[in-house]
Amino acid sequence: MASPKDYSRRAFLRKLAFADEAQLGTTNKSLVCIFLRGGADTLNMLVPYSNDDYYKLRPNIAIKNPLRGGPTAAIKLDDHYAFHPKMAPLLPIYRDGRLGMVQAVGTDNFTGSHFEAQDQVDHGESCGHSLAGGWLGRHLATRSLGQQTPLSAVAIGTALPESLRGAPSASVLNSIEDIKLEAPPGQSQAIAAALAKLYGAEVALLAEPSKITIDLLGRVEKLQSQTYRPANGADYPDNTFGKGLKEIARLLKGAVGLEVAALDLNGWDTHFFQGAEAGLQADIIDQLATGLAAFDKDLGSARSTVTTLVITEFGRRSYENSSMGTDHGRAFTVFAIGDRIAGGQVHGPLPHLTRGQQLDLLGPSGLAVAYDYRSALAEILVRALDNRRIDNVFPGFKGQEIGLVKRAIV
Amino acid sequence: MTVSRRDLLKFAALAAASAGALPLSGCESITSSASKFLGEGIPSKVSVCAGTVVDRDFHFLSRATYGLWPGDLDYLKSVGRNKWLDEQLHYEKIDDRACDLRARRFETLWLDTGTCFEYKKTVLRDELVRHMLLRAIYSKRQLYEVMVGFWSDHLSIDVGKGDAIYAKATDDRTVIRGHAFGRFQDLIAASAKSAAMLIYLDGNENRSAAHPTAQNIPNENYARELLELHTMGVDGGYTQSDVYEVARCLTGWRIRTPWQRGQIYFEAAEHDDGAKVVLGKTIAAGGGERDLDSVLDIVCKHRSTARHIATKLLQHFVSEEPPKAMINRVAKVFTATDGDMRSVLKSVFSDKQFDQFATTKIKRPFHFIASSLRALAADTHAHSSLTEYLNRMGHAPFQYPTPDGYPDQSSYWLSTLLWRWNFALSVCSNKVPEVTVELPELATAIGAATKDVKTKTLTKPQLDCLFSHFVGRQPTSSERSTFFDYLATSKSESDPCPELVGLILSSPAFQRC
Repeated sequence: MASPKDYSRRAFLRKLAFADEAQLGTTNKSLVCIFLRGGADTLNMLVPYSNDDYYKLRPNIAIKNPLRGGPTAAIKLDDHYAFHPKMAPLLPIYRDGRLGMVQAVGTDNFTGSHFEAQDQVDHGESCGHSLAGGWLGRHLATRSLGQQTPLSAVAIGTALPESLRGAPSASVLNSIEDIKLEAPPGQSQAIAAALAKLYGAEVALLAEPSKITIDLLGRVEKLQSQTYRPANGADYPDNTFGKGLKEIARLLKGAVGLEVAALDLNGWDTHFFQGAEAGLQADIIDQLATGLAAFDKDLGSARSTVTTLVITEFGRRSYENSSMGTDHGRAFTVFAIGDRIAGGQVHGPLPHLTRGQQLDLLGPSGLAVAYDYRSALAEILVRALDNRRIDNVFPGFKGQEIGLVKRAIV
Repeated sequence: MTVSRRDLLKFAALAAASAGALPLSGCESITSSASKFLGEGIPSKVSVCAGTVVDRDFHFLSRATYGLWPGDLDYLKSVGRNKWLDEQLHYEKIDDRACDLRARRFETLWLDTGTCFEYKKTVLRDELVRHMLLRAIYSKRQLYEVMVGFWSDHLSIDVGKGDAIYAKATDDRTVIRGHAFGRFQDLIAASAKSAAMLIYLDGNENRSAAHPTAQNIPNENYARELLELHTMGVDGGYTQSDVYEVARCLTGWRIRTPWQRGQIYFEAAEHDDGAKVVLGKTIAAGGGERDLDSVLDIVCKHRSTARHIATKLLQHFVSEEPPKAMINRVAKVFTATDGDMRSVLKSVFSDKQFDQFATTKIKRPFHFIASSLRALAADTHAHSSLTEYLNRMGHAPFQYPTPDGYPDQSSYWLSTLLWRWNFALSVCSNKVPEVTVELPELATAIGAATKDVKTKTLTKPQLDCLFSHFVGRQPTSSERSTFFDYLATSKSESDPCPELVGLILSSPAFQRC
């Protein structure tokens, strides 16, 4: 635990680090964390078509074998896996080697409770050993450089997600337009000028952060004054998720110091009439895939510093239930996009899909977990975001090597 | 401290008379009017400081309170620091009915842990935060509230961890508030037996190593923080084996469930009853639950603890790097009085070097918000529109993720300026929903009446008066010209106060204390 003495020493080191770092926002690597709330049936997103059991266990909701062809069939990735047809927009990114998947990821929580499992994933803890603060919050706290800005951590929405708790400063917003000085109409420039003058007279401590903040307001104002046009013909879907991603892209490209963005996509709790190539889940996969594809296109050259992670709280059972949906299961697939991702492949074991297998507390046929979810998160934080104090993010946790993220070239 | 039925009827009549003018819900509007009736408003005349450096009594109050309420400085100057301190240290004699009216309504604060399990976590969290903030703003027992804040950080519990939130109200009531001005060792003993702390630092998992199950190894988490954070400090001179031995002493404390849920008890069967050696002193075998007191007798009386607590108090009240001589003086009082916090605090505030450190600290966000609202004599019931600012600045009470509590170091808080500015600019224009300020009344009381003044005709004495009310000194010529330059651009045709005061509260001078 940090003692006061330790803190001032750290603050000193921070200052040294700051002196070396280039302009705000240019050296930062960023993480966009998308949480599929409700427990996503990833088995119908990344379809194990080579496994006959998949078709036996899901007579009504399986996605058609790609070898049979046709527009409603799954899209073949390799000899074992195929994408749900609504995942098609992500195919170019996969082929480009920047979209990677990990199978058999999960928590050690057997309760099947959305609340508990989401809480556990958001906090980055193991079952029954709760940690304070969220995993993203702790990540940011370990990186608490002197120059963190009000936009270092952003959650799109209206409430701070648990994952960001403990961050030194975090903003909850629906759009960039929320970031402004609450000045009287037409007065924000005059207020900013007055503040710059008042803080300009400061010699210690307050001078630098006020400069950073006023500079940030200037950058954001510039972004606000221009109608945002996504680059490279990126076409965001006209829904909350698409709008959220667009705002994140705007912030990332605006170089405002964004390090972590969190965005939820709800509606994955598909107990009833989940559908197959079309239907409830297909619609929401469509939102996810078209959104992410537009986001990736839009980022353009900024994409080299951005990693996008898609997680959920648990996967669903291998077999469909009597309402042609799926019930709460265990392991799920993690999706990640970025230059540092070892993409174009599916990591982890092929799912073993026999009814009655995994007779654990959860009931039959929850997919077996091979990787604790924190192994994936830790790999991303260490290798894609250069976190050097991962022990402070996941205290006492020993991760397994997955290979989802390439090692840095030394 | 209760309000008589007749008083309440009077408030009701008063509130009814002005109900049309109040936008708040019925109960809150009655409370708001009643508070004024109980002397919580703005005095008719408030003095401001005429000096060019911060007035030393203003400095004293800035540190000993969550900020000056209009009239606080006049009162201190009339009675002197010693009497003021004596009154504050015997807080139970201070009439706090006006604050109670606002803060006592949160029912979960008064419930035992078991009953709290019947509430949603978010309800419990909101009530804890609102209660803390309202007390900070409105309590007349200001030094007590500041110490409640200090101990809440010193014995920090993040209510986001596990079931800690269900037990936090009890911890706040019986540990923190119960012993804020008491004997240090009693405070630590209460904390050691607090369900919230047992959950937060895994004391509940701490079982005798001799116990047959393989998993039952002592959990050192609480023992370590007890030594490192709560008592001796990281360089206090204990060893890893001391941590282990302390953990052994503390085995066996459990939380009841499901009956009498949340109650603490001692389970002798899970206690390691062998002999232990802590800091070179032997604790004989067979001590049972008395092992806890034996440990506390050793560590709380250790000279490292006196130094550690003296240092932390001085960092909080005086300077991030307090002079060694000052630490020695306060630690000496701590040791001489066996950690009597009244005596220790008296030594802090009456230290001959106390006045040297004016304006060297930066207010933490909670202090900034509370001191703004106090200086403005604002009316609020701490709804989410207000507490949201604490979330944004990462300073919502009881939510710091690690057991060392929210940092007292200014450097930690520097990324919060934008939210401070926006809070200041919004609150002065009555744009923070459900927070009301009456600037004209305040300006009149401090002798800067701007009722009939247009933006462009505000005079230098008026500006100086307003600035000094919030900062405790006259503005420098550069500050003054910045404010006048700004007013020259203002398009406001009416009272310039909202913009001007917003800017004053945003200025670096008001971030300092």
